[in-house]
Amino acid sequence: MHYPWWYVPFLTAPMLIAIVSVLHMFVSHYAVGGGLFLAVETRYAYRNQNRNYLAYLKDHAWFFILVTVVYGAITGVGIWWTIGLASPLATETLIHAFVFGWAMEYVFFVLEIASAFIFYYYWGRLEARTHQVIGWIYGISAWISLVLITGITGFMLNPGSWPRNHNFWLGFLNPQFLPQTLARTGGSFLLASLYVYLHASFKVKEADLRRLIERRSARPALLGAVLVVLGGLGWFVFLPESAKAALAAASVLNVLMVVIFAITAAVFVMLYMGPYRNPGWLSPGFAILLFAFGMGAIGTGEFLREAVRKPYILYNVVLGNQILPEEIPKLRKEGYLEGGTWTKVFIKAQYPQAMTDDNVDPAKLLALPNADQVKVGEVLFKYHCNDCHAGQMGYSALGQATQGWTPEMIRAVVKEPEKTRFFMPPWCGNDDEAELLSKYILSITLPHPSGMYYGNGK
Amino acid sequence: MDPKFLISPSSPLGLPASFWFIELFKVLGFTLHMVPMHLWYAGLILALFLRSKGSENGKCLGARLMNAMPILVAAGVNFGIVPLLFTQVAYYKVFYASTILMAWPWFSIIPMLTIAYYGVYIYATALRKDSDRIPPISQAVGWVSGFIFLAIGFLFSNQFSLMVRINAWPGLWQKTSLAGAPLGIALNLSDPSLWPRWLLMFGLALTTTAAYIVWDTAFFASKESDAYKCWAIRFAQRVYSFGILWFAVFGSWYVFGSWTEDLRREMFSIPLVYQTALTAIVPALPWLLITAQRRRITPMLALLTGLAQFGVLALNAVSRQTVQNAELRPYLNPSAEAVKTQWGPLILFLVLFAAGIAVVCWMVGKALEASRKPAMAG
Repeated sequence: MHYPWWYVPFLTAPMLIAIVSVLHMFVSHYAVGGGLFLAVETRYAYRNQNRNYLAYLKDHAWFFILVTVVYGAITGVGIWWTIGLASPLATETLIHAFVFGWAMEYVFFVLEIASAFIFYYYWGRLEARTHQVIGWIYGISAWISLVLITGITGFMLNPGSWPRNHNFWLGFLNPQFLPQTLARTGGSFLLASLYVYLHASFKVKEADLRRLIERRSARPALLGAVLVVLGGLGWFVFLPESAKAALAAASVLNVLMVVIFAITAAVFVMLYMGPYRNPGWLSPGFAILLFAFGMGAIGTGEFLREAVRKPYILYNVVLGNQILPEEIPKLRKEGYLEGGTWTKVFIKAQYPQAMTDDNVDPAKLLALPNADQVKVGEVLFKYHCNDCHAGQMGYSALGQATQGWTPEMIRAVVKEPEKTRFFMPPWCGNDDEAELLSKYILSITLPHPSGMYYGNGK
Repeated sequence: MDPKFLISPSSPLGLPASFWFIELFKVLGFTLHMVPMHLWYAGLILALFLRSKGSENGKCLGARLMNAMPILVAAGVNFGIVPLLFTQVAYYKVFYASTILMAWPWFSIIPMLTIAYYGVYIYATALRKDSDRIPPISQAVGWVSGFIFLAIGFLFSNQFSLMVRINAWPGLWQKTSLAGAPLGIALNLSDPSLWPRWLLMFGLALTTTAAYIVWDTAFFASKESDAYKCWAIRFAQRVYSFGILWFAVFGSWYVFGSWTEDLRREMFSIPLVYQTALTAIVPALPWLLITAQRRRITPMLALLTGLAQFGVLALNAVSRQTVQNAELRPYLNPSAEAVKTQWGPLILFLVLFAAGIAVVCWMVGKALEASRKPAMAG
C-alpha cells in the first residue's frame, strides 16, 4: 500500500467512483451521439431547406451544450478526480501507462469544446457548408474521444498481454477494446435519440415536425440498440474467466446482466413500435419512460463493468486494495504493516514498542493489550479490506457479512479469502497480522439473528 | 515521525517521457489555464460589480465580460486538465497523498464547479434576454458563482501548498484520521504560504482581466461607441494598476513572509535571481503598453499587450515551477525517476496536438469572419 487510504464511512471510497461514473455516463454517451445527431440532421435540414427543423436543431444544440459542456465535462473530470482519491495506485499506473492516450483525448476534447461553441453561437452567421463541417468536427472528435477512453477502460477489465511487456499499443488495443467501442458507440446513438425524444416531446408542438424528429431519430436508435447487444456479447466473450465466473456466481450480477439485456430489448421494441412504425406516438410520458429505461440500462451496465473486475481494479495489474500482485509474496513474508508506506509509519508512531530494528514486529503487536490489538486490526481492515467493505454497517459491511460467524470461521476466511470467494483478494500479510485482523472483525461482527427455527426445538 | 517516510515508492513503469518534456507541458498547460481562469476568478466579480454599481459604460463592459464567461469557464476547465495530468505523471508521489489528506474539500470542487458554471449560464442567459432587467435571483446566482470560484481557488492553493509542505502531513494525518486512514477533512490552513499564495493570484488575475478588456475593446467591440472604447481603456489601466499593487503587496508577503531562508537564498542567488526579479517586475510591461493607449487604443499595441500579459503569466508559471521543485528537493527529485519513453504515442500526440491547433485556428478564423458579416437566415 503506497498511499494513505481514504476512509469514507458507510459508503467506502470506491463507491464514490461508481456514483460519479454512472452520473457521468448518463451524459457522456449523449455528448457523442448527440453531436453526431446534430451533424447529420443539420446537413439534412440544410439540404432540404427545412427551416422549421433547423430552428428545432438550434434549440436542441443549446440544450446539448448546457447538458454536455457543463455537466458532462465536469463530471468527466470528476471521475479522474475521484479515482485519484479512492484508487491512487491504480490511477498512478494508468497515468504512467497511458498518459499520451489521455493527452490525445485532451486534444479532441479541446476540439469538441471549440466546435460546440462555434457551432451554436455562430448559427445563422456561418456559411451553411462551414457550419456543417464544424458540426462534423464536433461529432468526429467526440467519437474519437470515446474510442480513446474505451481503450483505457477496456484495459482495466482485460489488459491482454500488457502485464508482460508494458507496451502502450498492446494495452490500448486490448481484447475488450473492440466490443466496448461497439457497445459504447451503440449506446451513444441510442441515448442521443432518447435525449432528442425527451427534449422534442416537451419543446415541439407542431405535429409534422414532431413526426419528422421521431422518424429521423428512430433508425440510429434502433441501430444503437443492436450495437449495444452485439458489443455486449463481445464484451462477455472477451471477459477474463474469473469475471465470467463472477457474473455467473454472484446472483446480483447475473440478475443485473439479464436486466440490461431485457431493458435494451424493451427499448428496441418501444422504438420500433413507436417512433419507427407509428410516428406520432411521442408524448412526454412515452419519452420519459424511454429515457428512464435508457438511463437504467446505462447505469446498470456501468455498475456491472466496475463489479466484474473484482478483486482487481486493473485486472491482473493492481488489486482493489491498491496492491500490486507482485508485491504479495514480500508482504506475506515481511508483513503487511511493514510493507505499507503509511501503515509502517503509523505503527512506529503509535506503538514504538512493537518495532524491532526499525521494522514492525507482528509478534510484538500480538503482545499488546487486547484493545490495542483490535485497534491495529482496524488499521489492517482499513488498508486491506475497506475498498470493498464498510465496517459494521454500510455498503457490503463486514459486520453484516460475517453475522453469526464463529471465531474459527473468521480466522479461516481472513487467511485465505480468495479460496472462500475467488473475487476476493488474497491475504497479503503474515499469520500474526491475520490474527489481529480477525480480532477486529470479531469485535464488529453482529450476532446471529435470533428467532430462527431450525427444527431442533430451539 | 519523519515525513520523508510518507513518500510513496517509485512507479515501476518509469516516466513515459523525459522529465523536461513533462515539465514543459505542465508549465505550458498552466500558463494557458491561467488566462481564462483569471477571467472567471477576478473578471467575474468585477463584471458583477460593474453590472450592479457601474456607470453606463461600466454596465456595458460588465455585460461584455458576462456574455463571454460561459466560454471562458469551458476553456479554463479544459486547459486545466493538462497541468493536472502532467503533475500526476511527475509528482505522483506527493500529489495523491496530499489530495487524500484533504479528500472531501478536494472532491467538493467538482460539485462546486458544476454549480458555479451553471450559475454563470443562468446570469448570462438572463443578460441575453433583457440586459436592463436581470431578475434578482439571477443576480444572486451570479454572485454565488463568483464566490464559489474564489473558494475553489482557495482549495487549489490549499492542495498545491500541501503537496510541497510534506512536514505538515504527519500532524494533519494524526489529527484527521481513524485507525491510520485519513478522513479526508484536513486543510493546510496553518501553512504561512497559503494566504499570500491565494491572494497574489487574485492580483495577477486582475491584471489578466485588464489585459483582456484591452483585447476585447480593440478587436471585438467594433459595435460599441468611441466613448465606450475610451472609457474601457482607461478603466483597464486602473484595473491593471490596482492588480499590480495587489500583486506586489501579496507577492512580497509570499516571498518575504512565507519562504524559508534556504528557499529565499536559492531564489535570490545567481542565476535564479534574474528570474525572480523578472517575475516581479515584468507586469510593468503590459501596464506601460496599456498606459500608452490611454488616449487611443491601437490594434498593434493591444496585440502586444495581450502577448506581454501571456509572457507575464508564462514567467510566473516558470517561477512557480522552480519554487515547487526547490521546496520538494529535500524529499523528492522527480527528474531522477527512470524514463521509459513511449515514442510512438508521444509522437502521435504531438502530431495530433499540432493538427488540433490548426483545426481550432481554422474554426476561430471562420467564426471571426462570420462575426463581421450580418446574420443570415437559418
